[in-house]
Amino acid sequence: MNNTQSNTIFKTIRQFIFITILLATWELSVRLCDLPSLLFPSFASVIQSFIAQTLNGELIHRMIFSLYLIGIGLSIAIISAMIITALSVCIRWISEWVQVLLAIMHPLPGIAILPIIILWLGTGPQSIIAVITISAIWPVIANLSIGLRSIPPTQIEVGRNLGLNRFKLTWFVLLPGAFPHILSGLRIAWARAWQAAVAAEMVFGASGGEGGLGWFIYKKRFFLETADVFAGMIVIVLIGLLIERVGFEWIENITVRRWGMTTHG
Amino acid sequence: MFRSKRLITTFLCITLVLVSIFNGNLLYASRPELKIAGQFGLVYAPLMIAEKLQIFQKHGLTPIWKEYGSGAAVRESLISGDADVGFMGIPPFLIGWDKGCDWKVSMGFVVVPVGLVTNDPRIKSLKDFKPADKIAVPSPGSVQHILLSMAAKKELGNPTALDQNLIALPHPDAAASLISKRGIVAHFTTPPYLFEELEQSGFHLVTDDVRAFGTRFSFNVGVVTSKFHNRRSVHYRAFVNAIEESMAWINQNTKKAAELLAPEFKLSPEKTYKYMTWPGMEYTTRALGLMGFAKFMKEAGYIKKVPADVKEIIWENVKL
Repeated sequence: MNNTQSNTIFKTIRQFIFITILLATWELSVRLCDLPSLLFPSFASVIQSFIAQTLNGELIHRMIFSLYLIGIGLSIAIISAMIITALSVCIRWISEWVQVLLAIMHPLPGIAILPIIILWLGTGPQSIIAVITISAIWPVIANLSIGLRSIPPTQIEVGRNLGLNRFKLTWFVLLPGAFPHILSGLRIAWARAWQAAVAAEMVFGASGGEGGLGWFIYKKRFFLETADVFAGMIVIVLIGLLIERVGFEWIENITVRRWGMTTHG
Repeated sequence: MFRSKRLITTFLCITLVLVSIFNGNLLYASRPELKIAGQFGLVYAPLMIAEKLQIFQKHGLTPIWKEYGSGAAVRESLISGDADVGFMGIPPFLIGWDKGCDWKVSMGFVVVPVGLVTNDPRIKSLKDFKPADKIAVPSPGSVQHILLSMAAKKELGNPTALDQNLIALPHPDAAASLISKRGIVAHFTTPPYLFEELEQSGFHLVTDDVRAFGTRFSFNVGVVTSKFHNRRSVHYRAFVNAIEESMAWINQNTKKAAELLAPEFKLSPEKTYKYMTWPGMEYTTRALGLMGFAKFMKEAGYIKKVPADVKEIIWENVKL
């Protein structure tokens, strides 16, 4: 336990050093090569506008709105994916349908459907939620069904022999068995939800009052506020890091790692 | 083996250095290529006619066309060096100038009517817009957005009063939404969308360019970087002359121009002619309204400085 903990700390320190070197190179190359700030703002000016935009509340407001849309879209995607997978586990022909649908829809970027979504649902937040849901649902379904299929039949047989009923079998055997796949499905879904949310807002620009970080970046682009564009990207990166480090790694630690299902560190 | 590898590497390095030197300096001045960044629509008729009649070639230039979806994209293309000249609205030009882009206006490019059309009979003036009513403009910081801001200042006393109602949509999408009455209630737009929307029953103008700005102005300007203007002055002159010739041709042969361009716009020649001669449409290289926009945009906080003299933002040939 102690060993893993110190390993994690060293890993974090090494990554931190790498990021610092990267940022220092950025700042130095801007200063030494005299790059035009329109094309490549210095890291210092990016931090300045990050702080300014955080203090005036705009970045936080946009971030909350983006997270709100992603929260709704992801929840719909995950719940529908669970229902669809449950149905396809129980009923064979549904499973065949889902496989075909998956083959068709999974490679299609959610954002490619946006023009159709706008026609059907208009240009409000509901369209962005729809794009997020469509982007996120397929990786969840794909990983859920791969996870369930990858459970060795002997484990299920053992469960049955122990006299577990359907619900207990799902809860104690199927779900833990599929969990590494479920987790990677969620990771992909989370990443795709962000991509969809930001991309959708940059295509039809959301609307003044109710726009997230995509709208922030989009608007700043039109006013040539390049440092603010970077500030918007930094927020997205920070949220991503936070969710990965605090959210997913924590879940991983209390589940698959504790169950001894993963070996890499 | 090792020696030959080193030889090749050295040779490649020398070639690279030579190519970059020649590309950057010697060749830049002598190439007749002219990279033109524009957008699509009735406004760009002079460029399209110049292409059809090979007017640039007559003036010794080889045009390379680059078509973009917004003034901001045209601006980015100029900043990154992908284009020598670009056509955009006065506000995107001024935002770039304010941020330190080394460029000036080389000509005005078409005066067109711009109007805010609504599909809602309830809306008679800007006061009637409720918080949930969406107003489409092509993008933040576009001519249409600044005009809306001007109108809001005149009628409501605050230039940002309607910013919460804004939605950024390309013209065709916004026109489709307005006509199908889905999502938006108003669209600040230009021909041909302006004309098509106003032909719908029940649609009407809430405000227009002249009421918002006070006078007519150049909807688009031709922007040229100092690099191109100073180092390729012969080509710069040729470019200005070519556009002037194309505009003169359109003004003298509007019927023929409409016939040539009709298929491009997917309109009938009659309709194209009607639109090209609509009251308020004028193909002219005079640059109108530059200082008016600059002063308002400074006041409203869109830019931080105003040119002390208009000469700071125009090249020597520009007629005001």
